[in-house]
Amino acid sequence: MKYSTDYSPIEMMIIAGAREIENGQILIVGTQWPIITTLFAKKTHAPDITICYEGGVVLESIPDRIPLFTGDPCIASNSVLLNDSLDTLGMILHAGYPDIAFLPGANVDRYGNINTTCFGDYSRPKFRLGGSGGACDFGSLAKRVITMLEHERQRFPERVDFITTPGYLDGSDSREKAGLRPGTGPGAVITTLGIFRFRKDTREMYVDTYYPEGSIEEVKKGFQWDIKVSEDVKVADPPTEEEIRILRDEIDPFGMYLKNNKAKTISTL
Amino acid sequence: MKSKIMTMDKAIKEFVRDGDVVYLGGFIQHEPYAAIHEIIRQRKKGLTVSSCAGMIALDQLIGAGCLDRVITTYTWNPLPKPAHALRRCMEKGIPHEIQMEEYSILSLTLSYFAGALDLPFVATKTLMGSDLAKNPSFLGENKLKIIESPFNGEKVCLVPPLKHDIGIMQVQRADNFGNAQAWGVMGDSKYGINSCSRVIICAEEIVDTEVIKRDPGRTIIPGFKVSAVVEEPWGSHPSYVTGCYDMDWRYFSFYDKATETLDGFENYLKEWVYGVKDRSEYIKKIGKKNLDALKPKPWSGNPVDYGYCAQYQEDYVS
Repeated sequence: MKYSTDYSPIEMMIIAGAREIENGQILIVGTQWPIITTLFAKKTHAPDITICYEGGVVLESIPDRIPLFTGDPCIASNSVLLNDSLDTLGMILHAGYPDIAFLPGANVDRYGNINTTCFGDYSRPKFRLGGSGGACDFGSLAKRVITMLEHERQRFPERVDFITTPGYLDGSDSREKAGLRPGTGPGAVITTLGIFRFRKDTREMYVDTYYPEGSIEEVKKGFQWDIKVSEDVKVADPPTEEEIRILRDEIDPFGMYLKNNKAKTISTL
Repeated sequence: MKSKIMTMDKAIKEFVRDGDVVYLGGFIQHEPYAAIHEIIRQRKKGLTVSSCAGMIALDQLIGAGCLDRVITTYTWNPLPKPAHALRRCMEKGIPHEIQMEEYSILSLTLSYFAGALDLPFVATKTLMGSDLAKNPSFLGENKLKIIESPFNGEKVCLVPPLKHDIGIMQVQRADNFGNAQAWGVMGDSKYGINSCSRVIICAEEIVDTEVIKRDPGRTIIPGFKVSAVVEEPWGSHPSYVTGCYDMDWRYFSFYDKATETLDGFENYLKEWVYGVKDRSEYIKKIGKKNLDALKPKPWSGNPVDYGYCAQYQEDYVS
């Protein structure tokens, strides 16, 4: 096993996301980075994972072309269950089956709340985004939510302008007080700078891991609040050469995610 | 039963009225773009449109000024790029202010489900804590209610039944009477289309009722609930219909660039909506070569057997 010396921050993020997945788990997967991340995991260390999508798809194999979004026909035609949203968001997610829910996000805050609705005031936004889709359901119901996004400082405000997808709300037990089930909520935020997790008591996000190319100072600058750093903060292993080869040549041979920016999320005003 | 086949022009004229609450079916696939363009051509006004997870269908109706109110969870160009007309409307009130009621996919699908069954409400554990629950628009306090469950006291979110005056969606096939069959990713469609007083089914293909009866498990709405059937091949372009045609990503990219400015959006409508008489002219404009490139490779299964014995067992009858 040889570590790669030629990989991009996006590739590091995808591989770090895939490492959170254990073989055999049930995943419910949102659009963009989560798609390529979970398919990469299935191709490598976790071949027996089951991947569910909001429109009514349960997938147990890797489609022959990379899906560009969760409604892509290529995931429907390779699935083991193809029906509707009450199957996957209902009888799978609401019923509590998924081990992890993977989401993209435009903005994420101190308590893991996600905004994909608007920047600025909701009634007259400065920038209107797409909205929830199934994201609010993932965040409301899943045992462990992992959010993946490109790390830019403006994506990490102390408080998001609009909570599309509830994380730990105001911290501590505010999530449970709002009526959401105990034992659900954000597990990690994985970005192009590192891996961030949540304290069990305050539910505040902290720096758990940064990448070999980076530093704690650089990571801390990526947040609009003074984020705490774990006492035993870790440095991630870089991707191996084999991981990078599989990601580029087998999962995304046309570079739809890795080169052509077909998945880039909106972040700036 | 009488045939309900008619042209798109006639179906929209007869069954979509100004001020109606309209359900737009399709979840990514099956979005009825041909019908949407006809609604714009007929300059319908004051509609409330409910569409669970839309792409640029709502964007076009908003930009064309047909809507006053929207119920949705998501509207975006799937590239992913902004839905420019939606942005202009929400950020600047162009072409006029609209009200937008937002849910999540599960909560809105449950609302359609409640509407389709005529249930008083559905209780769920999603949506609570989110700002979607705290910012009702025109539904006001009837958007949802958070109460303590009468069974165990835990907090639950009640969503109301959503019903529609008219529902429209594209399907793979239907017979003359409106027995409509659709497959692939279905999202909210079955519940949405069954929550409507009137229904327009736009079908890629009109088939004999015998075809429907050979695979009745694929029917999503019975003909007796349907008002009109329109034969409209390629009616979901630039979206897709499973087994018929794939997503036209290049067209979404073209639409993104073409509609970025207000002038550009108006020129788009002039050229692609007002500038064509009907769907067949639009399809001609796309061109055979481009259409051929969207035809999928076959992925057909074994036919399903619905067989049964012609007679009961002899000694059971006697």
